[in-house]
Amino acid sequence: MIEAHSLTKKYGSKTAVDQVTFTVRPGLVTGFLGPNGAGKSTTMRMIVGLDRPSGGDVTVNGKLYRDHAAPLHEVGVLLDAKAIHQGRSAYSHLLALGATHGIGAKRVHEVIEMTGLDSVAKKRVGGFSLGMGQRLGIAAAMLGDPSTLILDEPVNGLDPEGVVWVRELVRFLASEGRTVLLSSHLMSEMAQTADHIIVLGKGRVLADAPVKDLVSGATTSSVRAVSPRAAEIARLINSPGVTVTSVDGETLEIVGLTAAAVGDAAAAAGIALHELTPLRGSLEDAYMNLTADAVEYRTGVFDPAAPATSASAHAHAGPIVDDEQAAPQNAPTHAASHAAPTSTEATR
Amino acid sequence: MSTSTAPARRSTALPASPIRLTVGGILRSEWIKLRSLRSTVWAYAVVFALQVAIGLLVVSVTVSNTGETFRGGPGANIPELATLGATAGVIFGQLVVSVLGVLVISGEYSTGQIRSSFAAVPKRLPVLWAKLAVFGVTTFVVSLVSILIAFFVTYPILSNANITADLWDPNVFLKLVGAAGYLALSGMLALGIGAILRSTAGGIAAALGLLLVVPIVFGLIPADWSATISDWLPGNAGTAIYQSSRIFEWWQGLLIMLGWIAVAIAAAATLMRRRDA
Repeated sequence: MIEAHSLTKKYGSKTAVDQVTFTVRPGLVTGFLGPNGAGKSTTMRMIVGLDRPSGGDVTVNGKLYRDHAAPLHEVGVLLDAKAIHQGRSAYSHLLALGATHGIGAKRVHEVIEMTGLDSVAKKRVGGFSLGMGQRLGIAAAMLGDPSTLILDEPVNGLDPEGVVWVRELVRFLASEGRTVLLSSHLMSEMAQTADHIIVLGKGRVLADAPVKDLVSGATTSSVRAVSPRAAEIARLINSPGVTVTSVDGETLEIVGLTAAAVGDAAAAAGIALHELTPLRGSLEDAYMNLTADAVEYRTGVFDPAAPATSASAHAHAGPIVDDEQAAPQNAPTHAASHAAPTSTEATR
Repeated sequence: MSTSTAPARRSTALPASPIRLTVGGILRSEWIKLRSLRSTVWAYAVVFALQVAIGLLVVSVTVSNTGETFRGGPGANIPELATLGATAGVIFGQLVVSVLGVLVISGEYSTGQIRSSFAAVPKRLPVLWAKLAVFGVTTFVVSLVSILIAFFVTYPILSNANITADLWDPNVFLKLVGAAGYLALSGMLALGIGAILRSTAGGIAAALGLLLVVPIVFGLIPADWSATISDWLPGNAGTAIYQSSRIFEWWQGLLIMLGWIAVAIAAAATLMRRRDA
């Protein structure tokens, strides 16, 4: 359990972390998401006392990290894989780290085996690849059998096998009732790994919610319909609460109706549909929306309270040009080229 | 953010763990760190080689050049002459232990290791105390062994020149121990300087500058105050611990040396507590 209250970090006049309050609970994988400079790493460093907060405080299991009798047993931390003396072997590094807490060679061998470093354990860390460095960092984090794990970009530099390994490891650790906090720039990775996500932008908490809520709350589900008579469909289904956006002359994106309702309406009017695709927002879209708002908020140009998404969608809803209907023969080609929606198209 | 309905935290649910952060553990950790680096082994090997080789060189050259006059007459300071060779390498050895003293701490900052160290020991200062203790004791032991071996290998040459001294004569033994102590203390001073500057290049430049350059600068200034300052510099006052000095008694030299270390370490400790790692 990690609890931050109004946690603030200033570097001179720059505020890296601005009055951040959040709770990271046991038994869940909590993801820290945010663009570069959002304050993720700084916040993580403050949790384990490497950076001094300028204001507020953060506790681990009810106490400041430095007040625990066995810090390594409370929190295992991977801040960056290069926080290791290059001239020492992986084994010596772990042995020295563990020695502070009376953790012996037996446990060191366990974590070396767990992270698959057996073959390189006696080699000097300077020759390690980024991926091996990450594994060693994770081994160090696991050394004290901690109830809380803090992993900053743990999959950075890992091969696909390593990425899957980290994902399964953190899920397993959370299932044991441990608190797991990890950051990642890979939003797709976060969607597969985390239960709960805290989005940081410019040092502030933008969202703090379960992954599912975040995706459904910050993005709108929509339906893409492609038809040579798109303009007619748009007129048919137009009603309060339904937003129709024309992507091009034959492609509509509809918010507020299910795919079935759109299909039924088209069939009833005898209009052929060349494509009908339900579009769901991804976590990445949710993240982009949230952080984009943060940028607007910080520059003070727009009112952050304004529901910008639907307003902008309406603005594009109108102009459907009738002479586009004159080329029905081209429609199959168009439909094919739009048949595989990508996630970036989904929220347009 | 709703209030927490989280399950009881894990650390209380598990049986009491034997894992504890202890002073003994931190000392052990620093010992493992010190011995697991090549630079440590090399530096101590060089200290040993310098001590023995320069001891032999100085004694051979002195005895053959000065011949009869070197022999101990009634007024000769036999213990001083007997320990001349054994302690001759100290002036070079201090440069090596100073470099190593800086590296012990600056190596952690330059590689990022310090973050691992402080994550394990979040109160931070115990790391500094443990480093000083482990490095100081290790340097003292290595230096003392080197100096004693230098004493024994130069002994036959000196006894040919009628300079025979009993190792257990306090005047002899204390000079040898004092020389080893001076080496350990100069290394600890360098460690303090390294902890203040946190950079290997800067730390080594400052530590060696204090030993080699600063005395020359004050020596160039033809004033009494300048000479006095020069006398109080660690590289000058400290030598009184193991050599006859016209200015300081051995214990005065020791106190001045300890004063320098206290100032450097106090500054290092203050900064270490305050700065972000």
